Amino acid sequence: MEALFFNSHGGYLEGIVRGFKAGLITQTQYNNLTQCESLDDFRMQLSATDYGNFLANETPPISTSTIAEKATQKLVDEFNYIKSNSVQPLTKFLDYMTYAYMIDNVVLLISGTLHERDTHDLLERCHPLGTFDTMPALCVATNVEELYSTVLVETPLAPYFRDCLSAQDLDELNIEIIRNTLYKAYLEDFHSFVLSLGAPTSDVMSPILSFEADRRALNITINSFGTSLSKDQRAKLFPSLGRLYPEGAFALAKADDVDQVKVVLDGVVEYRGFLEGQTGPGGAGAAGAEGATGQQAASLEDHFFQYEVGLNKLAFLQQFQYGVFYSFFKLKEQEIRSLTWIAECIAQNAKDRINDYIPTF
Amino acid sequence: MSDQRVSQYPSLLRSEQMSLVQLYVPIDQAHSVVEELAELQRVQFKDLNPDVNPFQRTYVSQIRRCDEAERRLRFLTQQITAQAIPIRPFEDTVALLAGRSGPQALEELDTRLAESEQRVAAMNGSYESLEKRALELEEARQVLRETDVFFSEATSRTQEIRSSFDEPSAPLLGDVEAGAGAGESGFGGGFELEFVAGTIDRARMATFERVLWRVLRGNLYMNYAEIDDSALPVPTSVAGDSAGGEEKKLRKNAFIIFAHGQDLLDKIRKIAESMGATLFPIDSNADKREEKLREVTSRIEDLNSVLYNTNQTRRAELAKIGESISAWWAVVLKEKVVYTTLNLWQWDQGRKTLVAEGWVPTRDIPTVQAALRRASENAGTSVSAILHELRTHKDPPTFHRTNKFTDAFQSIIDAYGVASYQEVNPGLFTVITFPFLFAVMFGDIGHGIVMMLSALTLILIENKFKKGTGNEIFDTFFYGRYIIFLMGLFAIFTGFMYNDIFSLSLHLAKSQFRWPTDFEKGTVVEAIQTAARYPFGIDPAWHGTDNALIFTNSLKMKMSVVIGVIHMSFAICLQVLNHLHFKKPELIWAEFLPQILFMESIFGYLIGCIVYKWSVDWEAVGRNPPNLLNMLIKLFLSPGNVDPDDQLYPGQAGVQVFLLLLALVCVPWMLCTKPYLLYREHQKIVEQGYHGIGSTSNQNGGGLLSGDEGESDGEGHGVVAEEMDEEHEFDMGEHVIHQVIHTIEFCLGCISNTASYLRLWALSLAHAQLSEVLWSMTLDKAFAMEGIAGIIFTFLMFSMWFTLTVAILIVMEGLSAFLHALRLHWVEFNGKFYGGAGTAFTPLTFDGCDEIPEGVL
Repeated sequence: MEALFFNSHGGYLEGIVRGFKAGLITQTQYNNLTQCESLDDFRMQLSATDYGNFLANETPPISTSTIAEKATQKLVDEFNYIKSNSVQPLTKFLDYMTYAYMIDNVVLLISGTLHERDTHDLLERCHPLGTFDTMPALCVATNVEELYSTVLVETPLAPYFRDCLSAQDLDELNIEIIRNTLYKAYLEDFHSFVLSLGAPTSDVMSPILSFEADRRALNITINSFGTSLSKDQRAKLFPSLGRLYPEGAFALAKADDVDQVKVVLDGVVEYRGFLEGQTGPGGAGAAGAEGATGQQAASLEDHFFQYEVGLNKLAFLQQFQYGVFYSFFKLKEQEIRSLTWIAECIAQNAKDRINDYIPTF
Repeated sequence: MSDQRVSQYPSLLRSEQMSLVQLYVPIDQAHSVVEELAELQRVQFKDLNPDVNPFQRTYVSQIRRCDEAERRLRFLTQQITAQAIPIRPFEDTVALLAGRSGPQALEELDTRLAESEQRVAAMNGSYESLEKRALELEEARQVLRETDVFFSEATSRTQEIRSSFDEPSAPLLGDVEAGAGAGESGFGGGFELEFVAGTIDRARMATFERVLWRVLRGNLYMNYAEIDDSALPVPTSVAGDSAGGEEKKLRKNAFIIFAHGQDLLDKIRKIAESMGATLFPIDSNADKREEKLREVTSRIEDLNSVLYNTNQTRRAELAKIGESISAWWAVVLKEKVVYTTLNLWQWDQGRKTLVAEGWVPTRDIPTVQAALRRASENAGTSVSAILHELRTHKDPPTFHRTNKFTDAFQSIIDAYGVASYQEVNPGLFTVITFPFLFAVMFGDIGHGIVMMLSALTLILIENKFKKGTGNEIFDTFFYGRYIIFLMGLFAIFTGFMYNDIFSLSLHLAKSQFRWPTDFEKGTVVEAIQTAARYPFGIDPAWHGTDNALIFTNSLKMKMSVVIGVIHMSFAICLQVLNHLHFKKPELIWAEFLPQILFMESIFGYLIGCIVYKWSVDWEAVGRNPPNLLNMLIKLFLSPGNVDPDDQLYPGQAGVQVFLLLLALVCVPWMLCTKPYLLYREHQKIVEQGYHGIGSTSNQNGGGLLSGDEGESDGEGHGVVAEEMDEEHEFDMGEHVIHQVIHTIEFCLGCISNTASYLRLWALSLAHAQLSEVLWSMTLDKAFAMEGIAGIIFTFLMFSMWFTLTVAILIVMEGLSAFLHALRLHWVEFNGKFYGGAGTAFTPLTFDGCDEIPEGVL
């Protein structure tokens, strides 16, 4: 039944997004990009791709940040186009996608204010997909209560924030706790929303969100070693979904060092080897980033990215579902990260590491 | 390529014979060679470095330079258009280029552009900062004014304010009252309560208020007023963003917030700043405010005069650039084309010459050689580039030499498919058949004349619109002006045949029929046939009779079939020309013969019968004329039996059986011969022990010059690839299936296509009926009235009739008839013989380099 009426409301946008996907930079184009001698070459090479002349009006010399900024702008434009053409429940789905950026922005602003950075600088660094009207007012908040009652209460993040209200002062640790609590609540909420959408969408989105949850849990665990975060608190931050939940999460909460984490990871085939420095990447679609530089141990983060890319690519195998929208923008984000990496390597003349990008298609 | 002889005159029947040529160009001439060849528009270069990345090619730095120059030009052009300074068109600036082109010109231009860009950018920078300052001052002035209003209201109407503040949601009010009550006297001079004043974007006002309310927990009193849109000067940076064309305005609010305590004020300031508000220090003392206002006003005036001066200098600079910018554009765009072309060429080992390969119409080789000599003269060297022809088995591009008359007709055919190399080009016949078939559907002298005259007007003033007007619809009609002209002419002709002029008929000669003079009113009158014959087209006596429709229907229906069958038979016959040209005479009996026999034995026979039936005086024979449709059906259903009543001519049954058998034989004939021929040919090759590559590469080797390694390599690859294709492709099953489909398609197509030509009848009928209805509903009624009312009514009705005639009968009906004529050519005509699998010849050209690219303006 889902398939029967999908095209009447989502068919056009699905077509658009699949078209966008066809414009993602391919392996050959990546190879060409990595051969560039200068950022000018880079720009010329990019103009042959879907990015077209997006840098044509920049005064040389162009910087890496300009490239990243313009590329992100393109992503945002595409997102906004899709969103303004969408109807429910896709609109809601896309809204959910923006919440993640909102959380990042909120945390960025709070921690920036804590370190007394200039508000305007901070606002510029916020991700444009996660902006909301009252965002600038975040900088006046000095404690959690205030944060909630002055600004966040009218944002979609408000329900996620309720669990954080117990924390009192805004310091490094508390901000991290807030971020992770928000994210946990967000992931759980998003997941239940996705489940409510029914079969094809939830089939595709569940693994992606589960992985996201697992990634969070792992990161929290590893980063909390040697900090004042207690194990109880740590356990509270784990999202209640994912491949590792509940046994793995329980074990993670008890873990004291990386080796114990590794044991937990061995329980899930796909995650096995994420923490092995030397072994190849796990995961289905991940291929070949470490081809040239074998000695460079792919970090955990790289494994995550590769696995995520693989999952997101799978989303395109199914039709009549919203997973493609999520996946496309995640892939596009990854593409921008890769482009920025390559551009950075060219700019800093670090050719030996240029192949450490993560290809999408 | 055995036929190297080029006929004396170019024709449209076949595409131009092409030669693959190789050019050896000394490096110092390369630039001028490309320029000359681009002016000539007769060479299509091949990419000789397909494996090389764009940024690894030889001339990439020059291209990058062009890109950079283009960026600067874009910037300057945008600046110029933003200032609404006119840009001199290219035609007037071309003189500036005299003798200056090529790398030196680009170099020179580059420095000039860099300078101009820098100057304009600097001026823009200072102008913008001045503007920003002016905006701030203006905002300050507005805030001063608005706050003045607040304050004066506060002093004069304290009481009222107090009562209006009496709301439970505003706890601060107590303070205000208290403060006001305590310092009643001081209210005019020093205001006790601290406050913040400033301006903020109107769209953010609501959020701002909400956030403040929550942050301060309602402990504030806020007042704001909208600043008049026109009061604020719009900075160019903001105005430039509005692409919508509508003038952008700054919509801002002035606000003043009263609050208590330094902490709260700091918070307010912080929030306001992060929300993008501008804050101004305002004194609560009225005199000081007055003074400040005066000061601000005088500073605004100073700034405005500075702004004006800056703008004038900038305008002068830009106007100077605008004088010659179109020429600059041309230089840069041309250079870019030149270097892009040079990047397709190959360096030889010695790095002294460039090797280029491309297609040239064989006929134009001398012209190209002359161009090469010119180029070497221009470059000032004695050695000119060397051109020599290569032999190849690759498919050359298709190039039809058209002129302004045939161009539009050819494009009708190209829209269906570009002809395969040297195949018979239906475009030639389309020139006449298209307007003719159109006119069969559109036959009306009056409409034809209107159409022809309007096309004629376009033709006479065509020089005015050479470059196009930018109006897409008009340009389309203008492009097809010669088609429309011929369509009009033919419509006049068919109009005479149908004897229709605006749905009326002409009495040009004596009619065949005479109306009886004595008749009773209300009875049916029958015309009396006389010995006279109307010499041309339909007798006008038919106009308005009861059985006119029956008569014209029968006539037009038969006529459509006759025209259709002739048209299609002609198309089948054109196959012969193709078979002969491509040296496949066996296909004449394997393909052409069964097809034409099939066609003629059924439908050729039908039109023979039609003509025969017309030629017999059935009244004299003394029986009803037989029904041809039934005859055709019975030919299939009960062959050999002809009802004596329906007999058209004696011996009909035997003839029909023979024709039917002939048609039936044609089907297996078509089906089997071609695959068999292909199979035999393949067997022959296999038996001789060839494995494809042998024979052709030997031939090829003879044609190659031994000296050039790169080329022979390239050729070798080409041959191998080709042969491998052929080898791979031969698959008997595939050929058989293909032929089965083809046969079925042809046999069914003959029937359905013939029926398809009935649209000629249907549309001409619809056209005639529609124009008759229009006439009788409008003008005819007006003519029935008399006196003054009749005159007025006629006047009104005429305008209505004429508008509707043009809009509906000529434009809309014309478009529909055009569409149907198009279909008849694409499907019914082209389908019979036209392959249309070629690639178009796209010569190197500077077209479009004379204009500033569209997106920029």
